[in-house]
Amino acid sequence: MNLLVAQAQQIEAPQIDYGAIAPLLVVLGAACMSVLLEALLPKHQRWAVQLVLTLGTLVGATGALIFYATSERPAQGVATLAGAIAVDSPSLFLWATLLVLAFGSVLLIADRSVEPGGAFVAQAAIRPGTIQDRAQATKTGMQTEVFPLTLFALGGMMTFVASNDLLTMFVALEVLSLPLYLMCGLARRRRLLSQEAAVKYFLLGAFASAFFLYGVALLYGYAGSVKLSAIATAAAGTDRSDTLLFAGFGLLVVGLLFKAAVGPFHSWTPDVYQGAPTPVTAFMAACTKVAAFGGILRVLTVAFENTQWEWRGVLYGVAVVSMVIGAVLGLTQTDVKRMIAYSSVAHAGFLLIGSIALTPEGTAPGVSATLFYLLAYGFTTIAAFGIVSLVRNSDGEATHLSQWAGLAKRSPIVAGVFTFLLLALAGIPLTSGFIGKFVVFSAAIEAGLAPLVVIALVASAVAAFFYLRVIVLMYFSEPAPDGPTVTVPGAFTTIAITLGAVVTLVLGLWPTFVLDWAGTGTFLS
Amino acid sequence: MSLPAVDVLSQFLAQQPEPVQRVVDTVTTGEAIAFWVLGPLALAGALGMLFARNAVHSALWLVVTMLSLGVLYMIQQAPFLGFVQIIVYTGAIMMLFLFVLMMVGRDSSDSVVEVIRGQRLAAALLGIGFAVLMVGSVGRALTSVQSKGLAEANTTNGGNVGNIGTKLFTDYLFAFELTSALLITAALGAMILAFVGRDGKPARKTQKELVEERFQEGKRVGSIPGPGVFATANSVATPALLPDGSVSEESLFEVIEATDSSTLSDDLAEVAGTGHQPDSHALKGSES
Amino acid sequence: MTPTYYLLLSALLFSIGAVGVLVRRNAIVVFMCVELMLNAVNLSLVTFARINGSLDGQVMAFFVMVVAAAEVVVGLAIIMSIFRTRRSASVDDSNLLKY
Repeated sequence: MNLLVAQAQQIEAPQIDYGAIAPLLVVLGAACMSVLLEALLPKHQRWAVQLVLTLGTLVGATGALIFYATSERPAQGVATLAGAIAVDSPSLFLWATLLVLAFGSVLLIADRSVEPGGAFVAQAAIRPGTIQDRAQATKTGMQTEVFPLTLFALGGMMTFVASNDLLTMFVALEVLSLPLYLMCGLARRRRLLSQEAAVKYFLLGAFASAFFLYGVALLYGYAGSVKLSAIATAAAGTDRSDTLLFAGFGLLVVGLLFKAAVGPFHSWTPDVYQGAPTPVTAFMAACTKVAAFGGILRVLTVAFENTQWEWRGVLYGVAVVSMVIGAVLGLTQTDVKRMIAYSSVAHAGFLLIGSIALTPEGTAPGVSATLFYLLAYGFTTIAAFGIVSLVRNSDGEATHLSQWAGLAKRSPIVAGVFTFLLLALAGIPLTSGFIGKFVVFSAAIEAGLAPLVVIALVASAVAAFFYLRVIVLMYFSEPAPDGPTVTVPGAFTTIAITLGAVVTLVLGLWPTFVLDWAGTGTFLS
Repeated sequence: MSLPAVDVLSQFLAQQPEPVQRVVDTVTTGEAIAFWVLGPLALAGALGMLFARNAVHSALWLVVTMLSLGVLYMIQQAPFLGFVQIIVYTGAIMMLFLFVLMMVGRDSSDSVVEVIRGQRLAAALLGIGFAVLMVGSVGRALTSVQSKGLAEANTTNGGNVGNIGTKLFTDYLFAFELTSALLITAALGAMILAFVGRDGKPARKTQKELVEERFQEGKRVGSIPGPGVFATANSVATPALLPDGSVSEESLFEVIEATDSSTLSDDLAEVAGTGHQPDSHALKGSES
Repeated sequence: MTPTYYLLLSALLFSIGAVGVLVRRNAIVVFMCVELMLNAVNLSLVTFARINGSLDGQVMAFFVMVVAAAEVVVGLAIIMSIFRTRRSASVDDSNLLKY
């Protein structure tokens, strides 16, 4: 026995800056606690306790974040856990964005007033179409496992935007994706559509993850390490052929662009947005985009900045394709959720313009602009989907555009708020969407991407057309006599929609505070 | 105070291979032979999986590929990974696939009719194009690179397994902890999608509850009499007789009572003694 | 023969898997093709670990296996639930959501 002990090598545990990663640990720890509660609590207590735990976690994590951000910390950021997690200013901004957007999403997820029992099925294992399924459609229980799944997805997203090496990024990508695949299949109404959305998202997501992983493998072969800084160093000078670098970059970017719903890798977006339960769509549309673009920004800025002249052209083309697909195909949509999905593809194109705006001097003016746009877009999206969940008929949500005709006559407040949100998505002045587009396009021009900005403006105009079409439909058409009603939302949905709309307005009128905060500091390299 | 056996055992376990100085990593003949046998086998498995009509056959071809890859890892100085590939990937994950295929996916074989015209051709061309691109770029990329080999890493500080363990707990600690979130999510997901809870329906009554109910209701406590004894007839419709010769109502079943009585009249007559009497030629017991 | 041959094998396996995802109809077989792609990446990682002389590639391959295991559980649960509803695992039948 002594021989073994003597010969055992002492392993040095890595240094962990607990203060820096406290928000992340709070979220993941609460997710595990949530699973435990799921196992121990009787059914009737679960919803209330899980809701309190989840909202409390989000508030607590935000508090820990604010405490760390305002304390003494290195300005250039901290790489902790053996360099796996980088807590720098953009990380903190993205974490705050994710936590607040998740707060809004959880309110929508937990809401049980718009649909009795909530938007989630009571027992997902019961087959749709059977007698038991018809019986459970009106029961007021829900699968409260959605709360721990949301927390795990949020933990994965927070790790994804802060990960400093590609392996942590891959594991975080999977941690954020698997709960979302599951949650997409749990709708209460239209379960067949929901299950189909889950299968499509899963198969395409796994396919894209495999491409991401092959990219990671090739970059490891090129650089000898998967740390982003090591890849940047290797790109500056190594004896390996550049082919490996660019092949790896290409494959890596395919995986990232899939997650961010950038065309031409967007094929899952309309189907999944339409089929998933609306609160989950809101969570995905807002938070997954923030996480995905956070990852794209970090990878492009830290690992590939020195090689930008080689890959800029390709991403230029991808951004154009995405904007064109989003704008043009959005025009043909007749379903509100699909329309918002295609508009999100167009917005992903705009965000990609911000991500590739790197100047030759090495500054990245696009980073702060993209961060601001992500925040603004996230809030607008959550509020928009909150309103979509209010328009209902006997079948559930009425998402066909024809059913939205004349909505203003029946419910002027809801129509008014939705109009404001659509104008924000279109980028009309006085909304956060306008400021977001303005800063992104300015950064792009500064980086020498002027033709891209022209195409973007044209695409914006085309996209504005289909937003305006919905507004005109709501205000200037006659409502169908047997049309849908607008449910009066309960407290949770009201708070979520109000939060989104107010932030959209405030960021449109007084954006400097957030713009300055987004602009402090750059990525840790 | 330790036993000699334990000492010998701990000495054996604490053995480390001799640390090897840096050796230039070359491909030995043995490795080349193994590669040229297993490589085409792995490719054959992949193509078999792609072209097999039956889904279970596809799974079995994939098992062939995975086993070949497991051995390829072992000859590439990754013994731990080779074993994990065979035990975990092939042994657990592929078996899970086979289970699910047997339960749900077996009968649906792919139809020959294409939904999107030309999809198969387009996919095949894209695939060949991608393969050519990747093979070409990777092939050219490493022509001048000398492989360093893992001889040093596999023989110091606990060998291959020890060093992998060290890396898991130092460099990759957070990724290691994060995979626990992944596994919890997987377990939770499987539970959600597969477990139908008992939803407020009352549980089946226990034996004790049934007995109490029977006594409280004041009805008959024992069991009801069965049909008539099989001495005179072997039909379940035969009623049992009470000690005074009358028919016991409780041994009659409603279902049989609903039967047309003419079909049962013979049995009833036998029991009442008015049935068919045997004639003089019949064999009788010592009754007469 | 150099270690590069393993990388070429890996590229071929990856392409076969990618073609399989695009061509096959049975959702479970499509998922098996994704697993083949992950295996091909594992082979690449192990080979690069040997070429670079560090065990990082092997540790990463190990993580890929763990991730694949979790993904298989979730994926098969989703596919099973859709099969039990529709009595078919064909991806062609997932046609309720379209343009």
